[in-house]
Amino acid sequence: MIRWILKSLTSEPWHLVASVSAIGGAFALALFFEAVFAGESKQIVAYIDQSDADVWVMQRGVSNMHMATSYVSDWKADKIENIEGVNKVTPILYLNTVMQAGGRSWFSFIVGIESGNARAGPWSIAEGKQLPGPGEAIVPAVLARLAGLGVGDTISIAGHEFTVAGLSDGTFSMANSITFVTLADLADIMSTFASMSYFLVDVAPGVDSIALAKRVTSEIEKVNAVDNRHFTKNDREVAMQMGLEIIVLMTVIGGTLAILLTGFSVHSSVSRKEHEFAVMKALGVQNKMIYFCVMVYAIGLALLGFSLAVILVLVATPITASFVPQVTLQVTMPALLRFIVAALVVALLAAILPVRRIVRIDPVQAFKVS
Amino acid sequence: MSEPALKAEHLVKTFGDGQVAVRAVDDVSLVVVRGELVVIMGPSGSGKTTLVSMLGALLRPDSGSITIDDVEVTELDGTSLAALRARKIGFIFQSFNLLDALTVEENILFPAHLARGGVRSAKTYAQDLLQQLNLQPRRSARPATLSGGEKQRVAIARALINRPQLIFADEPTGNLDSQSGQDVMMILYDIARDQGCSVVLVTHDPRVLDVADRVLWLEDGALRDRKNEQHSWVKDPVCGMRVDEWTASLFSEHGGDRYVFCSQRCLDRFVVEPTCYAVSTQSE
Ligand SMILES: Nc1ncnc2c1ncn2[C@@H]1O[C@H](COP(=O)(O)OP(=O)(O)OP(=O)(O)O)[C@@H](O)[C@H]1O
Ligand SMILES: [Mg+2]
Repeated sequence: MIRWILKSLTSEPWHLVASVSAIGGAFALALFFEAVFAGESKQIVAYIDQSDADVWVMQRGVSNMHMATSYVSDWKADKIENIEGVNKVTPILYLNTVMQAGGRSWFSFIVGIESGNARAGPWSIAEGKQLPGPGEAIVPAVLARLAGLGVGDTISIAGHEFTVAGLSDGTFSMANSITFVTLADLADIMSTFASMSYFLVDVAPGVDSIALAKRVTSEIEKVNAVDNRHFTKNDREVAMQMGLEIIVLMTVIGGTLAILLTGFSVHSSVSRKEHEFAVMKALGVQNKMIYFCVMVYAIGLALLGFSLAVILVLVATPITASFVPQVTLQVTMPALLRFIVAALVVALLAAILPVRRIVRIDPVQAFKVS
Repeated sequence: MSEPALKAEHLVKTFGDGQVAVRAVDDVSLVVVRGELVVIMGPSGSGKTTLVSMLGALLRPDSGSITIDDVEVTELDGTSLAALRARKIGFIFQSFNLLDALTVEENILFPAHLARGGVRSAKTYAQDLLQQLNLQPRRSARPATLSGGEKQRVAIARALINRPQLIFADEPTGNLDSQSGQDVMMILYDIARDQGCSVVLVTHDPRVLDVADRVLWLEDGALRDRKNEQHSWVKDPVCGMRVDEWTASLFSEHGGDRYVFCSQRCLDRFVVEPTCYAVSTQSE
């Protein structure tokens, strides 16, 4: 019986295709923004993620990297290194500034790394050198592409000229980009002497990073040490504050659209089948049976629409990556699960809309001559 | 034989309120016994469909009582009414009302889901019905591909599948050609005679008068005695054709006289300029 009622509800293929496409479109919109959000929030902490230091040491009062300023005397590196359980300490200088490249200004994070030490440098190189020499910079490949730059071209950081020596991958997002220069060059730009911004600390195998971070903070004056996980979390929170609201809003709009479209589709299917429902009722089918079938139908529509959305977004991801490189899309499993739950909620809400209508369908209508 | 399958007393149904109120059925009482073929006739708008809807547990009367199998139908709630219709009543409609998405066989079996026995036990009976009604070759066809006569035979099989004790048919031949209409009439006659099933048939078709056990005449919502003559011939004032006043469905009033028409076309012409046609008296 359920199968036959559903067969009646879905008997118009074009109506079904249109419904699923519309619902799929709305879900795709929401899923797309979610993917942008996930991609961006991953990309924004890419440097911290990739350099994978166990503990970060910085000026007391500072607890993240994004838009932060931190100065720590360079001699403290030795003191940290002497703490038991510390394997290696790598210093970097760090500056948020505007960079001139290809006739445009680019907001950029400049990271100064020790000459010849790749520990805190770029992790993936598309072209050219991996490490900058004096007067050289490694810029994001995406930025180079957008600015029309190549290896050997010149950029300017805070009035100082640098030659592009290499192009790095995975160092660009909508909110930031990372350019690498030597420690000495960045110290010159920042007019600092004997100061570092952060120390990347690698701990010995089996040592607990959180405990070690606590020890560093208590044993060395005027520093704050944070383990990698918390440092990443702090940074993401700061960086995503504003973006988050917009993305949440867009996701809510996409979700609402999906609810409306699913509701509309279910409602219009019920309206189109009103006479058949009247006949079914006249034959003795109960309201609750029709209602149950409409609910199953709504869930089916929402899940089909959702599947279509997943396919659309999975197809859109590589296309976006090649045509709009500044946007990083990431479809995550938790996001998909969240959306499936949302799709089911959408279906149930959409199925509530035609309840009154179904109840009101009068079986006497079956006698009307169409 | 005289065991009643259905008993209705003092049924009243009014649509609308105040000025626009229409008393569609006005104090109708009747008993239908098992195996009886009862024909209800009457002019258009006389309340035939309304009466049949109430007898078939589809529409609640404003007052009066309906008893089917010692159960007072007017006291049942919506759920029980639906269950009653599924198990004890079969409907045949003028516009067939088959479910378009389902095949002939699925349409026939549809009500079986609602009966106690379920679909499996109904399958054999469905085969018999397909055979009897000469539908076997079309069993997998969609309703859209059937002729009118075939559609109505499918609808009859659907009405019979749960072996109901009552069948209501509202103008089942209204959309059929003469031959298919005749076939449908004879099938309904056989059902009443052979299966002990009571059939209540609303029709304008005079041919059924020869096989009906009883003919009820409904006019202005009330049952009236019908004269004994089989036909009452009058002349269509527009074309001059002979029309049976008892079974005709097109009427108009002019100058206090009632005129009967053979077709909508004649009626339309009359309404535009009644004085042209009303002069000649109608009765022969
Ligand atoms: N749902 C309704 N609301 C208002 N008035 C109605 C409704 N159903 C029927 N009527 C009115 O009740 C009266 C009887 O209608 P009904 O359909 O029972 O007549 P009928 O004898 O079946 O006519 P026909 O031969 O044309 O099918 C008519 O005047 C009709 O307009
Ligand atoms: Mg009628």
